[in-house]
Amino acid sequence: MRSKRNQRANLLRYLLLLAGAVLCTLPMIYMISTSLRPNGALYEFPPRFFPRLSAVTLENYQYILTQSKFYINFLNSVLVSVSSVALAAGVSSAMAFVIGKFNFPGKRLLFGFIILTMIIPGTTMIVPQFELATKLGLVNKLWGLIPFYVAWVIPFSTFMIKGFMEGIPNEITEATYIDGASVMTVFLRIALPLAAPAIASVSIFNFLTAWEEYPWANTVINDTSLRTLPIAIAGFFGQHQFTQWGYVFAMSVLTLIPVIIVFITCQKFFVQGLTAGSVKG
Amino acid sequence: MEMRSRSNRFQLAALLAPGLIVFGTFTAYPIFRLLWTSFCDWQLGSMLQQPWIGLANYQDVLSDSTFWTVFVNSIVYTLVTVPGQMLIGLFVAVLLNGIRRFSVGFRVINYLPVITSWVIASLVFRYIFNTEGLLNYVLTKGLGITSQNVRWLDTRWSGLSVAMILGIWKGVGWNMVVFLAALQQVPADLYEAAEIDGCGAWKKFCNVTLPSIRSTILFALIMLTIGGFNVFTSIKMITGGKPAHQTDTLLTWMYHKAFSTGKFGYAAALSFIMALTLGLLAIVQIKAMKNKDL
Repeated sequence: MRSKRNQRANLLRYLLLLAGAVLCTLPMIYMISTSLRPNGALYEFPPRFFPRLSAVTLENYQYILTQSKFYINFLNSVLVSVSSVALAAGVSSAMAFVIGKFNFPGKRLLFGFIILTMIIPGTTMIVPQFELATKLGLVNKLWGLIPFYVAWVIPFSTFMIKGFMEGIPNEITEATYIDGASVMTVFLRIALPLAAPAIASVSIFNFLTAWEEYPWANTVINDTSLRTLPIAIAGFFGQHQFTQWGYVFAMSVLTLIPVIIVFITCQKFFVQGLTAGSVKG
Repeated sequence: MEMRSRSNRFQLAALLAPGLIVFGTFTAYPIFRLLWTSFCDWQLGSMLQQPWIGLANYQDVLSDSTFWTVFVNSIVYTLVTVPGQMLIGLFVAVLLNGIRRFSVGFRVINYLPVITSWVIASLVFRYIFNTEGLLNYVLTKGLGITSQNVRWLDTRWSGLSVAMILGIWKGVGWNMVVFLAALQQVPADLYEAAEIDGCGAWKKFCNVTLPSIRSTILFALIMLTIGGFNVFTSIKMITGGKPAHQTDTLLTWMYHKAFSTGKFGYAAALSFIMALTLGLLAIVQIKAMKNKDL
C-alpha cells in the first residue's frame, strides 16, 4: 500500500521535473532551430518550432564563420575574460588569505565595507566609473575593461575564498612558520593549493560574469574591432532596420558553446561555490 | 597568527595591496564620487565646473513623474520575480531532493538558463513574443484563444511581463541549486521525529524544512532583490523602454538620463536613491527574518 503511494508520488515528481526541463530548454531549442533555417524570411509564416527538415541549412553559420569580425570579437572576449579571471583569482585569494588568517587594525571595518558594496548593483556606478575611465584613458580600449571587471568580482570572490582560508587548520600553518617559512611561502605553498577548489568555483562564476558582460562594455567600447561577443550580438540586432534573426541566433549559439563546455566540465565546482556562501549564511 | 617580523608585516601588506588598490580605485572611489556628484550641478557641457547645488538633483528626481513610473516598474519587477524565482526554485529543489535517478541531469538542465547570457536570452524572448512571433501564432492559429496578434512588446505591463517571465525563467536554476544544498543539510532525524509525531508531508515541510533553511531563504531574498533592481540588459533588448519610457526601470532610465541627455547629476542622485532603497530593504529583510518564526 505504502510503496504504491510512494511510486505514484515518484512518478509525479518525474513528470513535474520533466515539464520543468521542457520549459527550461524550449527557448534554447527554438533559438537553435531558428539559426538552422534560411535567413530570407524575416518572420517565417507560418512560424514553426522546428524547421522543415528539407530546409535545414548551415548558411547562417557559414556567414558568421567567414567573417573575420567574428573571430576578432571571440578573441576579444577570450582575452578579457581570461585575464580578468586570472587577475581576480590572484588578488582575491591574497586578500582572503590575509583577512582570513591574520588580525590587523581595521580588519572588520575593511571587510565589512567590501561586503557592503555587494549590495550596490554593478550598473548603478556606471556614471562615475565612466568618468574615471575617461580620466585614466581607459575608454575604447580592450584592456581597459579588465580592471573594472576585476574590481567588480573582488568582493564576492574574497568573501567566498576567505571562508575556505579560515577553514585551513592553524596547526598546518603554525608548523610551517616554526620551520622558518615566511608569510609569502605559506600563502603560495600551503594556502593557495588548499583553497584551490574555492578559487576554481569562484573563477567559473567570474568567467561567466566577464564573458556575458554587456552594459559596461557597450558603454566604453566604440570600435567594432574592439567589441566583445555580447556587444557584437547586440550590434547585429540593431544594425539593420530588419533584424537578421538567423545571424543573431547563429552567433548566439557559437557564443554559448564555450560557456556550456565550461559549465558541464566544471559542474561539480559550480555547486560547491554556490552553496558555500548560502548555507553558512 | 600574529605578525612577528618586519619582513612578514611587509609581505602581508604586499598581499593585501593589489586587491585593495584595484577595489579602491574602481569600486570604492566611484561610490564616493557618485555620492558627491549627486549634490553637484553636473551636466554634459559643464564637465569642468561642478558647483555644489545641495539637494537640487534629488528634488529633480523626486518631482519627475517618469522617475515614479520607472520606480514602480522596478518595484513591481522585483515583487514579481523574486518570490516567483524562489517559490519555483524551492519547489524544484524539493522535487529533486526526493528522487534518486537523473538528479544530476535535471540539475544541469535547470541551470542552463542561468548560464545563458542576458543579451542572448533577451533576444530569444523578444523573438518569441514579437507581434509576428511564435507565441502569437500559437495563440491565434494554433489554439484560437485570440483572434488578433497581441502587441506584447508595445504596452507598459505586457512589455514588463515579458521581461519578468524572462527574469523568472533565468533565475529558477540558481534558486534550485542553492535551496537543494540547504535541503540536503537538514538533519534526517528531525524528519523522523516529525513523522513519529504524526506530521504529514505538508506539515513536515512547514515545521521542519522551512525553519531549517531560514538562513538560505534570507540569503536568496537579499541577493535576488539586488538582482531585481539590477535589471538592465533585458529591458534594453526587449522593449528598449518603449513606449515613451513606460517600460524603463530605474537603471535603464538612469542610463538614458546620463548618456542620452547628459544629466549626470540627476543620474547620480537617482543611483543613490536606489542604493539607499536597497540598503533599507536589506535591513528590513534581515530584521523580519530574525524576528519571525517561519
